Amino acid sequence: MKKKRGETIWTALDRKATAIAEFTMRQYRTRLSTWVVLGVGFLAIFVVLLFYIDAMNSEIEAVDNDGDSFDWDGDGYVNGQEFKYGTDIYDELSHPGLLNPPVEPEPASMYINEDDYDWDYSDASYIKTGYDNDGDCTDSSLLPSQKDDNGDGNPCNIILRYDVSSGSYFVYADPNVDEDPDEERYGKEAQHRAFILGIGKLGFVFLLSIFIPLFLATGLIRDEMNSGTMQYMTAKPIARGEIFLYRILGYLAIVWPYLLVVCTFLALVSGFMGPGDQFFRFGDLGIWFSILIAALLATLVYGMLFAFLGVLWKYGIILALPIAAWELGMALLSMSVPESSFLRMSIVGWSMSIIDSGAYLVWPDMAMFTEAGSWAGGSNNDGPFLFFGSNELPGYGALEWAQSDLGLGMGPYATTVVSVIVLLFQAAFFWFIGQLIFKSKEIV
Amino acid sequence: MTEESTLDASNPVTGKSRMDAAWGSESSDQASIAQPVAQTGQVFEQVYVPWQGTLNPRWMRNWAIFRHHVLGIVRKGHRPWGIPTKLVLIFVLIASMTDVALTLLFAVIGEPDLYELWGVGRNNLYGHVLGFFPRNMLYYPLVAALLVGGVISEDRSNGTSALYFSRPINRFDYVGMKYLAVATIQSFIIIGTLFLYYFVDILAMGRGWAWILDTFPLFLTTVFCAILLVVTYTSIGLALSSVSRGKFFPGIALLAVLLGTKTLAAIVNGLFDSSILYLISPYDSVAHVGQALIGTNIVYDHPWIWSLASVVAINAVSLYVLSVRVSSMEVTRE
Amino acid sequence: MIPDLAQEGKAQEQQWVPQPKAPVVMFNNVGKTYGRYQAIGGISLALSGGVTGILGLNGAGKSTMFKLLMGKLQPSQGEVRLFGTNPWKNPAPYARVGYVPENENMYDWMTAHEFVSIFARLHGLTRDEAKIEAERVLEFVGLTDVMHKKIGLYSKGMRQRAKIAHALVNDPELIILDEPLQGCDPLARTTIMNVIRELGRMGRTILLSSHILSEIERITEQIVILHQGRLLAIGNLHAIREQLDNIPHTIEIECNDAKSLARDVLSLEVVHGLQFPSPTKLKIFTHHLGEFHKRLPRIIVDNEHDVMVINNPDDDLQSILGYLTGGYG
Repeated sequence: MKKKRGETIWTALDRKATAIAEFTMRQYRTRLSTWVVLGVGFLAIFVVLLFYIDAMNSEIEAVDNDGDSFDWDGDGYVNGQEFKYGTDIYDELSHPGLLNPPVEPEPASMYINEDDYDWDYSDASYIKTGYDNDGDCTDSSLLPSQKDDNGDGNPCNIILRYDVSSGSYFVYADPNVDEDPDEERYGKEAQHRAFILGIGKLGFVFLLSIFIPLFLATGLIRDEMNSGTMQYMTAKPIARGEIFLYRILGYLAIVWPYLLVVCTFLALVSGFMGPGDQFFRFGDLGIWFSILIAALLATLVYGMLFAFLGVLWKYGIILALPIAAWELGMALLSMSVPESSFLRMSIVGWSMSIIDSGAYLVWPDMAMFTEAGSWAGGSNNDGPFLFFGSNELPGYGALEWAQSDLGLGMGPYATTVVSVIVLLFQAAFFWFIGQLIFKSKEIV
Repeated sequence: MTEESTLDASNPVTGKSRMDAAWGSESSDQASIAQPVAQTGQVFEQVYVPWQGTLNPRWMRNWAIFRHHVLGIVRKGHRPWGIPTKLVLIFVLIASMTDVALTLLFAVIGEPDLYELWGVGRNNLYGHVLGFFPRNMLYYPLVAALLVGGVISEDRSNGTSALYFSRPINRFDYVGMKYLAVATIQSFIIIGTLFLYYFVDILAMGRGWAWILDTFPLFLTTVFCAILLVVTYTSIGLALSSVSRGKFFPGIALLAVLLGTKTLAAIVNGLFDSSILYLISPYDSVAHVGQALIGTNIVYDHPWIWSLASVVAINAVSLYVLSVRVSSMEVTRE
Repeated sequence: MIPDLAQEGKAQEQQWVPQPKAPVVMFNNVGKTYGRYQAIGGISLALSGGVTGILGLNGAGKSTMFKLLMGKLQPSQGEVRLFGTNPWKNPAPYARVGYVPENENMYDWMTAHEFVSIFARLHGLTRDEAKIEAERVLEFVGLTDVMHKKIGLYSKGMRQRAKIAHALVNDPELIILDEPLQGCDPLARTTIMNVIRELGRMGRTILLSSHILSEIERITEQIVILHQGRLLAIGNLHAIREQLDNIPHTIEIECNDAKSLARDVLSLEVVHGLQFPSPTKLKIFTHHLGEFHKRLPRIIVDNEHDVMVINNPDDDLQSILGYLTGGYG
């Protein structure tokens, strides 16, 4: 065919590729099952969103991590106030009221969450940080050596040392520094981050990206071959590999906008609902973007894979099910042991590492932030007080569950790039095998 | 009746009047060629004898449907289940007998510690029927999905439901028997191997009456839980099979319902520390009831009665959908 | 394989040199077996130009032949050539072919116009060109007034015509029609036959299959008879029929006055027997069917007989096959 005047790449593309893609899209649109599947997928995500909204709107109970809001000797002055004035917390007859001039008792609530984290988040491996807001370290009658437990020469600070082998920070804190964090502030932030990571990894990359292709892509070629309508398409001067590819394009033209809409919806809701002073959490858009990228690539690879299985065998769906089960196992493995080499043989592992590296880029303090929840003002390990409540801050468990380290041993940018390339390669690989088999299939 | 209207082979009925044939067709070289009339067949002499027998009772007709479906697994000439379905059934049957094999093995070796690990006990009985991995993640849902896959929808898409409904068969009997057949095949695998497990233990370990009296109530409870599991999977599966027309859609949809709700509930449980969403997961609801009845460690936070109510509700909704769809089903090829 | 971004199709990339002398369709000792079942065995055939009817009973291998030709099946033996190239795994020659498959499943959710234009774009037409082409071919097959209705609402004849339209959209040199008349009512049958005859008149090479002789006979005289996967006869229908002439034939005539017709018919030397099943029916036995049919119209017209039905119970495919395979010989 001779090139006509005014023919651009777009008019050329307007031919076979768009013809089949458009055809496939219309075919999906006329099927009720497409809408049921997409609707149920949205509903599932929406249910989790409801739990998130509920969590954001409910108050987290403030816990006195260092126990200084209690009045152990019953003299009407809480421990914290007695500390401040150097009186004996165990002695009823020793309290600031006996001082000259006498001090009025302060309400216990002043001594809850009174010393929040003042950590300078950075990704350095050795950090000196922390500030004693309530003055129970700086002002008390402690000796200078007692104020410097971690022995760095500076009183009343915290040292965070990154341990490469365990992949987490160790906290070396001076006494009474940042010892009573604000559960509300930490818990909301942690739950917000955990929600984004959890819904991104298990909601988008696992639930939506496996089940939607399972319903929509398995029959892309197979249904046509079974019903005999593939006769029409294969009688046209177009290579079967192209038919396979353009059918996938049509499938993506339905699935990708859908993912974009659902992802944007969640980004908006969580951006407005999320904790923080600003009106909208613009910073989170980056992580939503990486979730979107991961989900788009995962649906692409799964689409290719399931369409290929459909071509391979009339009962390709039976092959797809063990693969889906394997991917579920890999999804859980990726969340607990991200460096496992099994993950290299999965699709979900690579997709999730995109989200993890997105989280590292958007929230560079992630490792320290997680450690803060575990340390919980020192009530978890080597702090001076070990009193009430759980040993971890609220939201820490969820965050720990949803968040995982970068398993490839590379920086976040490199991890993203490598994962994207691997996923694209996987898609190309499945397409290549799929079209090879499709080519040599006899269409009866 | 005149003589001409007798129907026999020497006098075919064609009903064609083709005057134009005598005048030839339009092209000149064909002018002399008579246009032959297509043979439309002959009606041979036949005598219609109405069937005078008495109809067998209803249960016997239903039994025939049931038998047709169940025997199709093992014999030709009954409902043809696909080869992959049969292969998966055999695989799952063998795979769910691992505990039987291990019981036998350790009984032969005589290693009491290892035996404790695999022998009949609260946790192992629970695990045989309701363990999640791999039994309720891979084996039983896959079996249920393959069995319900085409059982009603294939009849609808092939138009073979018309063959059923042109016989003296009630629609509800038709569906009921399909339900029973599918449930029976699953029971062969789940409950059959459970029986085998229990009795192999008795024989291999030489259990006395005291042990049997001790464990038999536990065993019966497990059988009850297994029936609950089979019934729940079958109800959901057949409801899905009745609303769709493809062969695979009900199967995938069943798996999506079973595993998707579980994953969803796991997400919520992981993120918000709330096990309440496990109520929408059919497997977890049955498992929760099973944990409560068998007396193993309960891993859910909400009361188990809620899970029981959820199981009942899931079954009720599924059976309602099934009955509505079946009674309004148009007997046609769709 | 790199996707063809220029969208000019593999047809243009793969250098298939149209060999001027190559027949459009060539089968060289082609066999096809499905497992242990032999669908066709050892067919050798070359065709170029004209309308050719492939005749055979169900299962004779007609569709298999077409599918081999369209590269849907791989021959178990021998070679198939379409415009001199091997069609298996090579969609290049399809640019010059229109194929109407046998199966009745269509995209019921599309309109005929969408159906035809989408498939026109697979020939490398742009959206606008495809629209114009689709309208042209739909008018040719007479579906203009219903072309914006869903195919699912069409009658069988209209569906067949939509299928033919989709095959004609690239103005093909070779048109393959697999059972185009199956299941159509007489009106649709006539319309489709006219379409095919018209295409033949336009100089296209046409292959069509049927198991009903009278259908084929109204379209073409060049026939190929397949039986149980083998080539039984090839050539002019009349020539084939003439060969059958020394075999006794029966003709049934229904008329007002069988006796007077019998008197006139007996004057023909080719008639060697008569029978009167009823006062209005006449059974004639002849050895020379062609000769008899040449004379019969004249007798009827000259003597002003009122003839209602002329039946050739032997002149269907079944009996021809019977004679050819020696079943009745």
